[in-house]
Parts: sequence; structure tokens; C-alpha cells
Amino acid sequence: MSSLAANSIILYLLVAVALVMLGLYGLLVLKDPIRRLIAINIMGSGTFLTMIAFARRQDPPDPILHALVVTGLVVAISATAFALRLILAARESREAAASGSTEAEDE
Amino acid sequence: MNDALLSLVTPLVAALIVLTGPAMTPRRASVVVLLGSALSFAAALLALQTVTASGATQTLNLGGWEDGLAIRLRLSPLSALLLAFTALIHLLAGLYARFSRFASGDDFWVLSAFLHTALAALWLSADLFNLYITLELIGLAAVAMVALSGPKAYQAAADYLLLSLAASMIYLLGVVFLYSEYHTLDVMQLASVSADSARTRLALALITAGLMLKGALWPLHLWLPAAHAGAPAAVSALLSAVVVKGPLFILWLVWTEVAPADLAREVGPMVATAGMIALVAGGWAAMRSPYIKVLVAYSTVAQLGYALMALGLLMSWQIPQMHIALWLFVIAHGLAKASLFMAAGEMQGTLGTRRLTGLRGATQTVPIAMFAFAVAGGSLIGLPPSGGFLAKWVLLEPILSQPQNWPWAFGILLGTLVSAAYIFRVVVLAFDRATINPPDTRPHLMGHWLALLPALIVWGMALLGEQLIGLLAGGGV
Repeated sequence: MSSLAANSIILYLLVAVALVMLGLYGLLVLKDPIRRLIAINIMGSGTFLTMIAFARRQDPPDPILHALVVTGLVVAISATAFALRLILAARESREAAASGSTEAEDE
Repeated sequence: MNDALLSLVTPLVAALIVLTGPAMTPRRASVVVLLGSALSFAAALLALQTVTASGATQTLNLGGWEDGLAIRLRLSPLSALLLAFTALIHLLAGLYARFSRFASGDDFWVLSAFLHTALAALWLSADLFNLYITLELIGLAAVAMVALSGPKAYQAAADYLLLSLAASMIYLLGVVFLYSEYHTLDVMQLASVSADSARTRLALALITAGLMLKGALWPLHLWLPAAHAGAPAAVSALLSAVVVKGPLFILWLVWTEVAPADLAREVGPMVATAGMIALVAGGWAAMRSPYIKVLVAYSTVAQLGYALMALGLLMSWQIPQMHIALWLFVIAHGLAKASLFMAAGEMQGTLGTRRLTGLRGATQTVPIAMFAFAVAGGSLIGLPPSGGFLAKWVLLEPILSQPQNWPWAFGILLGTLVSAAYIFRVVVLAFDRATINPPDTRPHLMGHWLALLPALIVWGMALLGEQLIGLLAGGGV
């Protein structure tokens, strides 16, 4: 397996930068927390794609970067799961407060 | 190195015992975690003693892999000091959470032990990717701890988590760019090969932005007040005292070791200016806040300004005094802020109000907690002979000796005035005995005394001033 031509690596990097920018833009303008979480995940995909593209600059591909991507994915998945649960819990508590339950606003 | 590893592992073991131990009631969990913190503190002190006695930084390649492939841990006098500081703060916050009557939540124990482990790992890491992992671990534990105050805090916790994730992604992207240029993640190897290039600049900009967002350093601090004020008192104390210092440590590591010295010299004044603005803007927001805990949280933004200023001046002048000032600030602020948050928690719980105006007559109704607040506040202002004074003295000395540096002294003066203003605003209210908020009929003073403890330690720092300065004077790492 030969290393990819420099041009195609640059193409991948451009896509990665576009993904990061898109995610960052989403994070800044979106209000809904789940959408913002997805925006962060898109940023993450961009970051991981950058790593994979850099890994292919040599032959065989750089295993350290691959290991980092795998570790990063594990972190990203756990954090996303936690964030989803927290966002839902926050929404539930807000709805409970809005429906006039006295428990949620005892202060 | 073994002592340092012991200091890292004990809280982890404590957390695992609490998680898996049979019949683990919150009371037993508290005993296990407090013992873990105490052991970790003792081990950190031993590590500090060995590393200062040998005078050399010790390193360890995890798993015995060769350099470049291994994750490297490094024990320097500074990291040993920070290990001891973290364990001490966890011990103090744990004691408070155990004996105060205001609950911190049953899961406080396991989460605080995990947080302690992650922080200890951060101080010891010398590998940019490993630092990313510790940042994420700290972030996850901290967010879960904010959520301990119940459904009302879920929104603040979710916002905190989203920002924290975004910040670490930006940091990670910067790390990847550095790796793509230099093919190593090890801080010490990077230090010897890094050069000024467009890609290095981009990488450092990304890393800096991510860390400033994560560390609530001005202008990326807007998430901090909601998260820190929403958490239970013991958790707020941990968050303000140690959690925000983690990103600051990495920032310091990156700019003093990884970044080429010329580039650091160029960026330094910008960082110092951001610190100066943080001092004034954070202090101003604290002064105008109607809530007790929000005031204390904004004061963290302001006080981090001192640290940021010391870091910026360290970068631009590269003199060891700034290094000493930076870490003295971190330690003095950590202790004082732990005290402030615990005292604020006690006062707002006892008086039944979150509003500052509820503190009218607090010198009469909650005298010990109010005393703790004032004493800790004195260290934030920098009254001698507190730890805050010591730090400010070391920071001011090189600034005042050169007339062209006097604008920075003006910034510090302004910051001090604002700090004095928001602390005295509380104290003045507390002495207003005309229309007091009715006192507690059945006072429970243990929590008040425990809130006072960190404040007394920070005033005691002056006694250890010479040793601390000598310890940090080794410079560099």
C-alpha cells in the first residue's frame, strides 16, 4: 500500500477543516442543546479526520495517530451519552417547573 | 516517583472501593474517601520532600516503552506541590461535606475521588494527548458534581458539559497540528524541536483558545458563574479552587516549554492584558451581583486574572519571579476561594436566602462563617501577611523595579481596589445590624468552623513563604 498522493491528503484536510468550521458555527448560532451537541460531534469528526489524513502521509500509516483517534472516539462517545442524558434531564426538570409543579421551584 | 504515584492511586482506589464495596452507605463512603485524601496528601508531601531533596525532575515512561512511544509522567517540585495542594483541598472540602449539615449529595464522595485522581494525573502528565484525556476526565467528573445539586442545576451542568467538550475538541485539534509538524506528543521532546512556523502558531492558537475556554480565562469565562454558583458549596469549592487550575497548568506548560521563546515573548503582553481586563471586568461583575455565590464565582474570574497576568509577564520577560508569583497565586487563591464558597454556602443555607441583602447583620447571626468570609476575602485582596499578599508581593517586585513596567502595576492596583470593593460590600452588609435577617435558633457550627479552616491555612502560608518561594525558585518545571 503506497501512501496517498499529497493532493488527496489536502482534499481530506480541507473536508476536515470544513467539518470543524461547520461544527463551530453550529455551536455558536444554535440554541437547542441537542443540536449543539451534534455540532460538537461534527467538530469531533473533523478533528479525527484531520488525524487520519495526517496519518496517511507516510507508508505504512502512522499507528500513533490511529491509536489517538480510537481513544478520542471512546471519550467522545461516553461524553455524548452523558451529555444527552443530562440535556434530557434538564428538559424534564424545566417542563416539570413549567407545568406548575411546586416541587421544582421551592425557592 | 513512587510516592507521587501513590498519591495518584489512593483516591482512585478509594473511588473504586466506594463504587464496588458492599453495604456502602454515604457515611462509610465519606470515611473511605477522606482516608484516601489524607493518604494521598501524605504521599504527596513525601514526594515533595524527595524531589526537592534530589533537586532533579524525575520521569517515568508508563509500561516501560521507549521515549516517543511511551506516555511519560514527570514529577517536578511544582507538580509535587500541586499534588499536595489538590489533596489538601480535597481533604478540606471532604471534611466540610462530611460535617456540614447542608448535604452535598450521596454521590459527592465517589465523584470527588475521581476528580482528585484526574487532577493528580494532570499534574504528573508530560504528554499533550494524555493531558487531553485528563482534561476530559476532570470535565466529566466536574459536570456530574455540578448536577449533584438537583434538577435546578441540570441546565447549568449541561451547558458546562457542552462548552467543556467543545473546548477539549479545539485543544485536541491544536495538539494534532503540533504532532503533524513534530511527530511527537511528549512535552520534553517538543521543547527541543519546536520552531516558529505558521502551523505551530495555528496549533498554539487553537490550544490556547481551548484551554482558555476550559479554564474560564477572560474573555472565555461566561459559563463559569452559572456552573460554579449552581453547585453545592463543597463542589463549588473544589471547582473554583482546583478544577480551573488544570487548564491553566497546561497553558503554562505549553507556553513556557513547547512554544519557541520568541513566540512566547510576542504573545505574552496579550495574555497579560487579558489578565488585567479579567481582573477589572470580573471584579466589576462581582461587585454588581445580587447573589452571594454568583459574587464569589465572578471573583474567581477576577482572581484568575492575576494568574493570567503572571503567566503573560512570565512569557514576555522569562524571569523566574513570575513563575513563583503564578503558582503562589494559584495556591493562595485555591485555599481562599474554598473558604469563601463554603462560608457562602453555610450563610445562605442558614439564613435561607441566596441574595446578598440577606446577609444584613451576618456578623451577629452567623459570626464564624462571616469571619471566614472576611478572612479569606482579605487574602484575595492581598492584605499582609496572607498568601495572597505573598503572591502579589512577588508579582509586584519586578514590575516596580522598572519604570516602563508601571502600567502593569496600575492594573494590579485597579484589580486590588475592585477586589476590596466586592469583599467590603459583603462585610459592610454583614455589620449592618439595624435590620438583621433573623438568626438561626439551633445553630450547627461545625460547618462554619470548617469553612474557616482553609482561610486560616492561607494566612498561615506567609509562615511558609520562604520555603514555598525556594521550592518554586528552581524555575522551569
